[in-house]
Amino acid sequence: MREEQNTEMESAPIIWAVGGGKGGVGKSVLSIILAFWLARMGKRTVLMDVDLGGANLHTLMGIKNPPRTLNDFIARKFKSLEDICIDTEAKNLRLISGSSEVLSLANPHFSQKVKLINHFSRLDADYVVIDLGAGTSFNVLDFFLAAHKKIIVLTPEPTSIQNAYIFVRNAVYRRLSRLCSKSPSLQPLVKIAMDPKNEFKIRTVKELLEFIQESGGKDAAEPLEKEIGEIRPVVITNMVKDSKEKNAGRIVQIVAEKYLMIQSTNLGSVYYDRQIFAMVSDMIPLIRLDQSSHAFANIYDVTTNLLGD
Amino acid sequence: MNDRIDKQNSLVNRIIDGSVTIDSVTKFEDLLKAFPNDPGLHRVYGDLLKKEKSANAAADAYGRSAELFIESGMTLQAIVSKLLEWQIFKPSQQEEQAFCSALYEERDEESAVQRFFTGMTYPEIMAFITKLVLEKFPAGGMVKKFGDEENTLYFVVSGALEETAYHRLETGGRIQKKSTKDLVENDFFGELYPFDEEIVSQSDIKTITRVELVKISKSNLIHVCRKNPNVKLLVGNLYKSHVEFVEKEVTMTVRKTARQKLPTQVNLKIFQDETGKAPLDLVGFTEDISLGGARVVLGTKYQTGPADHLTGKHVKIKISLPTASVSLTILGTIVWSKELYLEGKTTAVVGVQFNEMTDTDRRALEEYHYGSAGEQNLIWSLWDSLMVK
Repeated sequence: MREEQNTEMESAPIIWAVGGGKGGVGKSVLSIILAFWLARMGKRTVLMDVDLGGANLHTLMGIKNPPRTLNDFIARKFKSLEDICIDTEAKNLRLISGSSEVLSLANPHFSQKVKLINHFSRLDADYVVIDLGAGTSFNVLDFFLAAHKKIIVLTPEPTSIQNAYIFVRNAVYRRLSRLCSKSPSLQPLVKIAMDPKNEFKIRTVKELLEFIQESGGKDAAEPLEKEIGEIRPVVITNMVKDSKEKNAGRIVQIVAEKYLMIQSTNLGSVYYDRQIFAMVSDMIPLIRLDQSSHAFANIYDVTTNLLGD
Repeated sequence: MNDRIDKQNSLVNRIIDGSVTIDSVTKFEDLLKAFPNDPGLHRVYGDLLKKEKSANAAADAYGRSAELFIESGMTLQAIVSKLLEWQIFKPSQQEEQAFCSALYEERDEESAVQRFFTGMTYPEIMAFITKLVLEKFPAGGMVKKFGDEENTLYFVVSGALEETAYHRLETGGRIQKKSTKDLVENDFFGELYPFDEEIVSQSDIKTITRVELVKISKSNLIHVCRKNPNVKLLVGNLYKSHVEFVEKEVTMTVRKTARQKLPTQVNLKIFQDETGKAPLDLVGFTEDISLGGARVVLGTKYQTGPADHLTGKHVKIKISLPTASVSLTILGTIVWSKELYLEGKTTAVVGVQFNEMTDTDRRALEEYHYGSAGEQNLIWSLWDSLMVK
């Protein structure tokens, strides 16, 4: 699977990955409701928990002990991801649970990760919504970069904004690192530039590309800039309480444009909804959320915007 | 993949920042149907209509833009849109009063500039804003140079600029770079207070993006202040806030060192108490890390004895950053530990207090987790100008 270019067969699903660095910003809740709306719109949807260090999506869906989990697939008990999909009470919506017992998968081998990414596109679905979990480990970044829509969730708090930005930053550097590993001529230049201790004091992607250009790699810098420019994440501010707080996503957008040379889209915001917190603590499946809920309506708008309808 | 809206959103941003121009009124109207509540878009639409000599429609677009900016708490931007409307049709006193009332109703007073404008009474605000001049700069333009006489107060309406401060060397009058900071919307610059001092600029100010500013000359400002003493008081407060902001930067470093939960792979060498015994080599991952220490989950290879045996032991941690080209080496002590059941085996999660790391490693860790000083400063500048209530 390649980013933004669906090279798989026509029926291959479109992947939406939901990440954002910080825990507790509502990635799982947003993933569930996005998947719910897709399913409600008639799209065959699989919701997938790739929060390999602390999976909880099944709990939020009201499933206490998932009969099959991602662990079973990694451990080769089942041959395809299709085999571990669980039906949910919503029509068109299936779940792949990450299971809370797979802490070992928080650092899977590269081959396991590649296998998992390849299998995403073989799912019999129109859309796959992936809940990435917290952090900016290689795995989270690689799953994020492999998706067609790269969704960043943050809340209007300084640490959340910092984490969301750092998430984007690390994704960009991860992509550069992968690109450089495929181009032996670029590798030494990029390695020098990416080292935070480097004597050239290169701190931004812009400075890095300028450095490559000045070092005689003009032809190499352009494709790198193009690849980085194609990352284009989508930013969603969750749990906003007033219109001012909607600006949180804009901060990430502005800083990423200046320092990382990437164009992100500030896709909107979702209002804080006390009902969601009550449902989570009462273990009520989130897809039973009252559809008049403000947050539910906001996420509907986000879904339609993402679909481009 | 269908990304029409994605592109459309990004197109809207580019139209607002001026990097994309739409010359067709019909196409603009279609865009406004999709984004009816974007004040910036209405503002640009007004500019297009004005260029097309559609005075009535342009005034309406500016008026709508001003209303939406007020609703978003963007006082300065609302004032600029309103002034553009009033350049087309001179307002009645009632209209002026209604606009000022709307500004007061929605006032948030979250920034110094906001407090400055909403602190004025109706006659004061009209005396001040009618002296404002709108100025646009392309990206990479120089607004103010080191050594220029400070005779203008600027407010940033949109875009971002970079201020580079210098100081003169005692020998030869050469200058040396002192610091840089970003200026974003709702910031101001131009050191012309107190009025009786002749101040020479100590910095260069360049635009990073396309920028729209409004400015007032020192002579006009003095004139307004003479007739309206409260405005002079507000100008004083505005500059005082500038000084307070600089002082506040000291506390910003405290905010920046909040702990982050960013899982990162680490290699640990745990040194044994007994002399001559080889250290344990383990792989784990951090669950929580700051510049002071980390919580590390040890891999399943650790099987030697109860977890509390680890407490007090010295460790050498090698942290691999996602850049894949750098790893940091930090010396520390395990200050707590507890058992953890992982993959059917018992292992441990430990709290490591960092004791020693080089300055370069500290900087690298800080940059990895928080971004460079420039990135952090821009985040905080934007936080202060867009978010602080």
